[in-house]
Amino acid sequence: MEKGILEMVGGEIIGIVSPVSICMLLVVLLVHTLTPHGSSTSVATIAMMIYNEQPNDSFVEKFKGGLLNAIVFVCIVMLVTFVLVGLFYFRFTKCLRVYMGFSAFTVLAWMGGIVAVELIQFFSIPIDIITFAICLVNFASVGVMAVFFCRMPIVLTQGYLVVIGMLVAFWFTKLPEWTTWILLVAMAIYDIVAVLAPGGPLNMLVELAIARDEDIPALIYEARPVLPRQISGPPPMSSSPTPARTRRWSNRRAPRNPGVGRGNSGSNSALDNLWTSNGQPTSLITEPPLAPEVGIIGSRLVSSTGDAGMLNSISTVVAGHQATESNVDEDTVPLVSHGTNNSSTAAALDGMESGMHFQGSDQGGSESEDEGLGLGVSGAVKLGLGDFIFYSVLVGRAAMYDLMTVYACYLAIIGGLGATLILLAVWRRALPALPISITLGVVFYFLTRLILDPFVVDLATHLIVF
Amino acid sequence: MEGEPVQTTAADTEWGRQTDVSSAGSLQWPTIDGPLGVYNEEAVKLAKSFYYGGFLLLPLLWFVNCFYFWPVLQHREAEPLIRRYVVKSGIGCVLFSVVLLAWALTFAFGGERLFGSYWKHLAIFDIDDKYGPA
Repeated sequence: MEKGILEMVGGEIIGIVSPVSICMLLVVLLVHTLTPHGSSTSVATIAMMIYNEQPNDSFVEKFKGGLLNAIVFVCIVMLVTFVLVGLFYFRFTKCLRVYMGFSAFTVLAWMGGIVAVELIQFFSIPIDIITFAICLVNFASVGVMAVFFCRMPIVLTQGYLVVIGMLVAFWFTKLPEWTTWILLVAMAIYDIVAVLAPGGPLNMLVELAIARDEDIPALIYEARPVLPRQISGPPPMSSSPTPARTRRWSNRRAPRNPGVGRGNSGSNSALDNLWTSNGQPTSLITEPPLAPEVGIIGSRLVSSTGDAGMLNSISTVVAGHQATESNVDEDTVPLVSHGTNNSSTAAALDGMESGMHFQGSDQGGSESEDEGLGLGVSGAVKLGLGDFIFYSVLVGRAAMYDLMTVYACYLAIIGGLGATLILLAVWRRALPALPISITLGVVFYFLTRLILDPFVVDLATHLIVF
Repeated sequence: MEGEPVQTTAADTEWGRQTDVSSAGSLQWPTIDGPLGVYNEEAVKLAKSFYYGGFLLLPLLWFVNCFYFWPVLQHREAEPLIRRYVVKSGIGCVLFSVVLLAWALTFAFGGERLFGSYWKHLAIFDIDDKYGPA
């Protein structure tokens, strides 16, 4: 049945706002439970290499120290991103994937273990170490497999991505306060530069992936793609194996010509079949997720043209498949992994985030033209995990003050996300998703804390309102 | 339900699954993801690898196997190739969880009385106090 625009566009936006909200909610819960007034023990991370904030320092000292920390952090992030771009450029994909797998396992097992132990201590749950070890190893291993290596239920993959985002964000909230805020602003600025400037690493990554027509190794959350039309059934057993759900990106200015470069990609021909032979349902199926996917990779909102201009605000990425050697080993969510320390983690995540290309599609919107273009107006939305993390860090830090700031920052971030989507519709190129949300979030936090909070608290204590 | 191939329930159509008219009780999509999941040989390979992977002390893989191929479990005649592995994974998962749960509950409720001084050595928060960050 035909769905209206509102349902489809709304459905996709919900598909990306929900996991962001869930991640933020989980981080707020963790922060509220475990470290309601900031972390008592200072966590030694790269972000605090230069200056370790003490509560007694003066305002100027804290500011300068925080600024230094943030600059160092951004430099390290940039470095690691360039390294990753280099690895991608020289096609060390195996190396990248092993690195990513290892990092994700570290995040899930080590950080996850520490958070779990803190929670167990808080609630005094009598678990013994054997059970705990088994559960943790299971959780981490299946998580790594779900995100990187295997085809798993989509909810599982999405859930694990949200959990990874939550763990890294919770770790970042352990930084001291001034450093955190300055870091957020610095990351937003870095985001703009890295994506929009021609020499920026993320921009280069996007260009590389477009030029090569390959997957970007990146940590990307992908909402469930919505099918455009009724599928009748899988092809018979002997015919085709399930195509790998790799993500293909292409520039909107270089729309893929059906027939060009098809020789090596089975998926393309399948997509071709999709559009040239409308009446053959079987060819539709060789291309699971058929719907174009909206991409907001990482800090990039990639815009694409929707079909018939309907879905202009969201970028579409056709999940093409390549004739890969291994079916199980798919880059469904190729991932930039985190390093064993937080900064490189963030670097990697951030770097890869922007790797979102969007499926360039011709505007004409006619369905037969481009692959994925007119594949129905609905598609999955993708958002890079770095965005999840920094949004959650902002909200987590706001939770350390009061829940009022949490609400204000949450609304600001979601509003910023919506605004970025609109900008995406207008500009139709890779856009950073961090700056608007972070700016609004920071502004709202300070406004709420300095102006709204005393106002409301005074009114309440004097029993005037509320 | 399996004996009536042409019946389609509301739930089935909602998920895009309609029992095929031509073959009795056959299943359209073996995974819960429907058309977005794996099918055909891919599915068999995946089920097999999950089954063997679970023996590496990873019962969660067995659970994921059952969860992912839930439609295969539901329809008794569907996809015999996949069903072998999924059923065995299900049995393994249930067995392992029973054992694990029994042990965990014994530990939790037994406490000091049952284990004596060993209880302190095993409980997580005590270990964390001893070895964890100060």
